[in-house]
Amino acid sequence: MFNRLLPNLRCIRAFGLIGSGLFVIAITIFILTQQTSRVSADYTFQETEAYCLGCHSNPDLKMTLPNGEEISLFISTDMLAESVHSPAGIECEACHTEIKTYPHPEIEFQTRREMSRSYYLACQKCHSANYKNAQDSMHARAAEAGNLDAPICTDCHGAHDVTIPDKPRSHVSSTCSTCHQEIYNEYKVSIHGGALIQEDNPDVPVCTDCHGVHNIQDPRTAQFRISSPDLCASCHANQELMAKYGLTADVYNLYNLSWHGVDLSVYKARWPNTWHYSAVCTDCHGVHDILSTQDPNSSVNPDNLLATCQKCHPDAGPNWTGAWVGHNRIDPQRTPFLYYTEVFYSSFSPFVLWMSLIYVILQIFHAIVGRIRRSLQ
Amino acid sequence: MTVQKDSLTSKPETVYVERYFPRFTLGQRWEHGILILSVFILLITGLPQKYPDTLWGQWIISSPERLNQIQQIHHVFALLLFALAVYHFGRIFVQIIRKQLPGGMLPEWQDVRDAWQMIKFLLFLTRNKPNFGKYNFEQKFTYWMIFFGVGIMILSGLILWFPIQVTKIFPGGVIPAAFLAHSNEAIALAVFIVIWHFFHVHLQRLNLSIFTGRINEDDLRKYHENEFERLRALNSQDSNTGGGNP
Repeated sequence: MFNRLLPNLRCIRAFGLIGSGLFVIAITIFILTQQTSRVSADYTFQETEAYCLGCHSNPDLKMTLPNGEEISLFISTDMLAESVHSPAGIECEACHTEIKTYPHPEIEFQTRREMSRSYYLACQKCHSANYKNAQDSMHARAAEAGNLDAPICTDCHGAHDVTIPDKPRSHVSSTCSTCHQEIYNEYKVSIHGGALIQEDNPDVPVCTDCHGVHNIQDPRTAQFRISSPDLCASCHANQELMAKYGLTADVYNLYNLSWHGVDLSVYKARWPNTWHYSAVCTDCHGVHDILSTQDPNSSVNPDNLLATCQKCHPDAGPNWTGAWVGHNRIDPQRTPFLYYTEVFYSSFSPFVLWMSLIYVILQIFHAIVGRIRRSLQ
Repeated sequence: MTVQKDSLTSKPETVYVERYFPRFTLGQRWEHGILILSVFILLITGLPQKYPDTLWGQWIISSPERLNQIQQIHHVFALLLFALAVYHFGRIFVQIIRKQLPGGMLPEWQDVRDAWQMIKFLLFLTRNKPNFGKYNFEQKFTYWMIFFGVGIMILSGLILWFPIQVTKIFPGGVIPAAFLAHSNEAIALAVFIVIWHFFHVHLQRLNLSIFTGRINEDDLRKYHENEFERLRALNSQDSNTGGGNP
């Protein structure tokens, strides 16, 4: 009986070993998984993506909002892979904080826009500085005034497909063109826009270089106008940068000495919020549609210059354009009147004044000597 | 030509007779007064526009409206100065036609010789001070500097005031040249008046003859000896023909 049972016992022992081994493995896996889930409870961004995509990778997944708008709930894995967030481990729950599991809590948004305007608030969790700047922008003020279509973070940067905004640089301007199509059409044929779009030029300004990035201000104010020459000067007064394109970097300094520049400087220093008509760069060169001065269509091409002057000086005759020397150094060939006036006041006039002063000093000296002599006698 | 200020008293040895000689006509005195007024107002309304960054400039140009007012005042007094210049030229023109131009202000070679002599005197190279006529070379220099200075200011000012009309006839280049000239000449003229004219009429000696219109005998003798001699000769001629006092 005992002998008969022996092989069974051996059998039991073997099973016991295998069983206990499996048990240990199972326990280990259990503990390990327990620990992992505890980590995901403490940190918002973890592997929620795979879980969510369990449903949201379905291209047909959609829902209907109370106002009848149909929203696709499909999230493409390719799109997530190309975005900046997902590969960095910032996943669904980082932004969709209220959704923890399935079934999701009831959605209270009436419209798609309302939903976007609610979810974009999550951006400030990480991007607080940019978010705050955006709140002090023309766009935020438009929203406050009731225009809910005014752009929020996700309108420019995307939502699930956020990429680096200026790769390539032309992406910035094409983003703005989504709403500002008309201005973009002017810009893309300008000297700046053309170089950006056709050559991916690293120096020409994109929209945000002049208008700012997140705290974009109203460019129609007196203050923007009065400081706009400084904006142009941030590139056009840069010797190194201008030399690259065969342009002179004196334009800004010489403008400041011209009638327009001097007149404007008074207002700039004292009353920057008072609208003043003295010409700034853009009045003559154009704003978004700036062309090379050699371009026959340029507003400051010699053939078109008079018409440009006549915008402000309607009665000006053909000689009038000769009065503009604001961008050129004084030169005997180009500006003879100015040149010889300058020579007169830099040589003859000071000479006469110095001679007069020396003569008067001699008179004073002679009078003092005379007095001392008389007092000694 | 002489004026007796005090009436003779009974004791001849204590009589003090201060004799005055007429130097400027009433018209000339008025001209000078208007010149002072207009140049002063033009400077205080013009300089803040040239130096808007300075504290005093900002004090005068306190608001855009004030800037506008100041430009209008500048134009009004520019017209006054212009009218004065027209009057001055008109008078000279009439005097030339009538062959009555006094000519005392016209520059002569004698002025260059006087200036050279004066410089040698001031450098202690000679003890002889030159004798001057009615207007010495310093005074002539003052007149001609202001003559051309005001001329440049009026001309360039008018160009800046009516640039569109000016460029219908003249090349556009005159506009920035006028801007530069107006700005520089104003300073040059102001500096000249302060260092040269103010020194000679206020510091060196207080010479108020342009306001009173007359000069006393001592000053005439001391500073314009040739003129004094000329007048004395003239006077003795007069007395020979039976007029005036000895």
